[in-house]
Amino acid sequence: MGRYLIRRALFMILVIMIVSFLTFLIFVKLPAGDPARRAVGRTTTPEQIENARKAFGLDKPLYIQYWRFLKGFVPWPGLWLNDQVYFSYGSFEPVREELSRRIPITAVLAIGAAVIWLLLGIPIGILSAIKRGSLADRAAMIFAIIGVSMPIFWLAQLLLYTFWFKLELLPASGIPIGYTGWAGALRAAAEGRFILPWVSLAYINAAFYARMVRGNLIETMNEDYIRTARSKGLSERRVIYKHGLRGALTPVVTMLGLDVGLLLGGAFITETVFGLPGIGQLAVQAISTNDFPTVMGVTILGAFIIAIANLVVDVAYAFLDPRVRYT
Amino acid sequence: MIAVVTVLGLVAAACGGDDDGGGGGGGSETPGADLSGGTLRMAMLADVTAAFDPQKEYYSVTWEYYRCCLLRNLMSYQGVPTDEGGADIFPDLAAGEPEESSDGLTWTYQIQPGINYAPPKEDVEITAQDFIRALERTADPKANVGGYSFYYSVIEGFDDFAAGDADTISGLSAPDTHTLEITTTSPVGDMSYRLAMGTASPIPPDDEGERMGVAEGHTRNYGRFLVASGPYMFEGSDTMDFSVPPKDQTEAPGYVPGRQIVLVRNPSWSADTDDLRDAYPDRIEVSIGGDNDDLYNKVAAGQLDFVVDGAVPPEKIREYQTNPDLQDKINIYASDAIRYVSFNLAMPPFDDVHVRKAVSWAFDKQGFRQLRGGESVGELAGHIMVNSLEDNILADYDPYQTPNGAGDPEQAKAEMAQSKYDTDGDGVCDAPECKDILTITDREDPYPEQSALLIQFLEPIGLTLDVKQLERGTMYNKCNDANSHHALCAGPGWGKDYADGITFGEPLFSSAGLWESCCNYSLLGASADQLSGWGYDVTSVPSVDDKVDECAELEPGDERFQCWSELDQQLMEEVVPMVPYLFDNSVDIISDNIQNYSFDQFAGLAAFDSLAVPGNTS
Repeated sequence: MGRYLIRRALFMILVIMIVSFLTFLIFVKLPAGDPARRAVGRTTTPEQIENARKAFGLDKPLYIQYWRFLKGFVPWPGLWLNDQVYFSYGSFEPVREELSRRIPITAVLAIGAAVIWLLLGIPIGILSAIKRGSLADRAAMIFAIIGVSMPIFWLAQLLLYTFWFKLELLPASGIPIGYTGWAGALRAAAEGRFILPWVSLAYINAAFYARMVRGNLIETMNEDYIRTARSKGLSERRVIYKHGLRGALTPVVTMLGLDVGLLLGGAFITETVFGLPGIGQLAVQAISTNDFPTVMGVTILGAFIIAIANLVVDVAYAFLDPRVRYT
Repeated sequence: MIAVVTVLGLVAAACGGDDDGGGGGGGSETPGADLSGGTLRMAMLADVTAAFDPQKEYYSVTWEYYRCCLLRNLMSYQGVPTDEGGADIFPDLAAGEPEESSDGLTWTYQIQPGINYAPPKEDVEITAQDFIRALERTADPKANVGGYSFYYSVIEGFDDFAAGDADTISGLSAPDTHTLEITTTSPVGDMSYRLAMGTASPIPPDDEGERMGVAEGHTRNYGRFLVASGPYMFEGSDTMDFSVPPKDQTEAPGYVPGRQIVLVRNPSWSADTDDLRDAYPDRIEVSIGGDNDDLYNKVAAGQLDFVVDGAVPPEKIREYQTNPDLQDKINIYASDAIRYVSFNLAMPPFDDVHVRKAVSWAFDKQGFRQLRGGESVGELAGHIMVNSLEDNILADYDPYQTPNGAGDPEQAKAEMAQSKYDTDGDGVCDAPECKDILTITDREDPYPEQSALLIQFLEPIGLTLDVKQLERGTMYNKCNDANSHHALCAGPGWGKDYADGITFGEPLFSSAGLWESCCNYSLLGASADQLSGWGYDVTSVPSVDDKVDECAELEPGDERFQCWSELDQQLMEEVVPMVPYLFDNSVDIISDNIQNYSFDQFAGLAAFDSLAVPGNTS
């Protein structure tokens, strides 16, 4: 177990380094135009451009430039997203502070949406699998196909227009002024301000999960051990829920871990459409203003969360599936 | 200019409406009613560009926050449209009009006594030294990144201070606490306009007597520690403590970058000392972020009063213009900006004025406007400088006027026939230089469609284009980069910084605006050495430096207006560095809660402090 965790952690570091290096290349080396010039604006002097170049370390060799950013990945005080490099030239504050301010919103959005899509997707998938070919199965699959096909930005707009603008049943987009930190995010959730974002995000994922659970359960129900369970005289209900579901839901854990991890790194479209000041909205703003340190910060945070989620999932998987061993 | 144009890019992209660019509903002010009080609820799609640092913010939205609310200057504006005096400046913190020496080199401003800063500096009076401090910070290349310090280079010793060759700016002095003397190296008639911008607003001293006062130690982010002098301040400004080292100071909580801005009344401000600002709302709350259409739905529903930097959706414009109940809730004003296609005069075939004129004749301005949303986006431009900068002298002038502004192919061919690139004189360019002309434009709508139209109406005169569509910032950088050897820059816009022709003349057409400064895309005034250094075969291009300098020295008034209009005519008829096609409009809709609206011509936006919402509670 210990060796497994160490190996996984090393692999996680490698993944983060690869992601960070690619991001670095994309934003520092590939864009047309000089990043320093883009940072200082259109009306400027050569001296200011040179100052910016020095400030960002762009006058240094590529490997030194990358090293400056790389140090910010080390989760250690003074290194982790350090202010010397990870300082937004959009908001003129440390990227770390901006991220920590926005995490509560993104976390409430991601976790709430995940709960909803699990509550929707799994039962629908089970129902669809055990009533295969029935009207319920067809209805469930239509639900899934619509969900999978519908662009989230369109669904979000549609929900807002219908339930807020026309019917006035739910709150409008955005988080009110003064709702800050975890308390603010939870207060907004309690007031129903996350319902539409949750539903937008959850519907599409619920559709995926329903399809996945259905497929997995149908496949599992044909396994030998299910036949064995039936031959032992267990009730069909017990066969499905005790033996079938365990096997069918194991891959869901993997998906869930990665999906939630992905969302914690920022639900870009949902946060933008609903005006939620989370990590995703920050990423969109930073990209549109070429705020490179913030883009790097968001990328690192996202990669870190996903890598950790991946690790947790792998460990959990072995608990859930006896066939998996820590090797 | 960058700032203004950025906003215009958003505003103009999706509008339709009134061709004269003048006026709107303006809310329904009730005579004699008390308009004060309430909470104004606004939204911005994106944050300001430099977190409110006055030496860095070159963005019209921030300039309005400064003008209306946060910062007072020696001179300032009333927050009204041009026809109500919105382009005129008035004494603000100055006790009266400045005195100018007979040689035009020295300006003396007397400062009103007894005006204090907002908390936590409510006990500190605004003095002459505070303006010097602001201008020194303006000169500091580390503090002024992205700003507009070039307007102040004319002050004696400014550039030496900026270069670190002097400890003070020799042209700035404070003979006493309420007198500021400014000496320039050459006469500038518009000094007061330059001092009406945010970068020249006073910075209070700190407890330690540091050179930059309360901005000391906040080179990168003074905006977060901004001490206000206007009628509003960031909520919680009183909690800032400048007695501790800068690294231990905490920002006012009223501004959270990317999230929200909350302004509350500055208890030090008194309407008795300020004739320029209405300061109606008690509180201004601004959310940052969201979806453009959704925000305008909120305005329509009365849950939001105003969107600062959005583009009113075309269907909303139609609805508000046609519904009698809503007509007084839409406001359309000329925003004092142009959109144009610029020629690089060092790139064949545009080194030949006949080719440039042929393009001017062929240009389908009406088609370009239609692609931007129709009549309400602005007035077809017949010349370069917006009318307010020339006191409407050229309001009816257009040397390339064509039926319906749709272009005249015959006139274009007649002009092309005189070009050296049309060897057989048939009005169709037959030289290889006319093929695959490198054209740079914006990749966002409607520029790709405009490029397609451009290709279509240039084809009959033998010009074919190789269009490169780029992200907006990259496009501007490429247009500005003489080394890029582009021939046409098809996506730019330009707005005034203040109501004077120099904000067009100098940056767009004088050699002072050449790369790597900004934004003389035509390379007018470039020397032979410069052209050679940039790799051009063309060895000379026209220059209008003398005319720009001549106009710059004149006092504001009729003579100066006349001078700028002469430059404009010279550019349009002799030089032809661009084809201006649109004078942009600003289009706003406001909520039912707003009982008074005013358009601030200086920033080209609504005057926030004049948006009266006495009935709104927080």
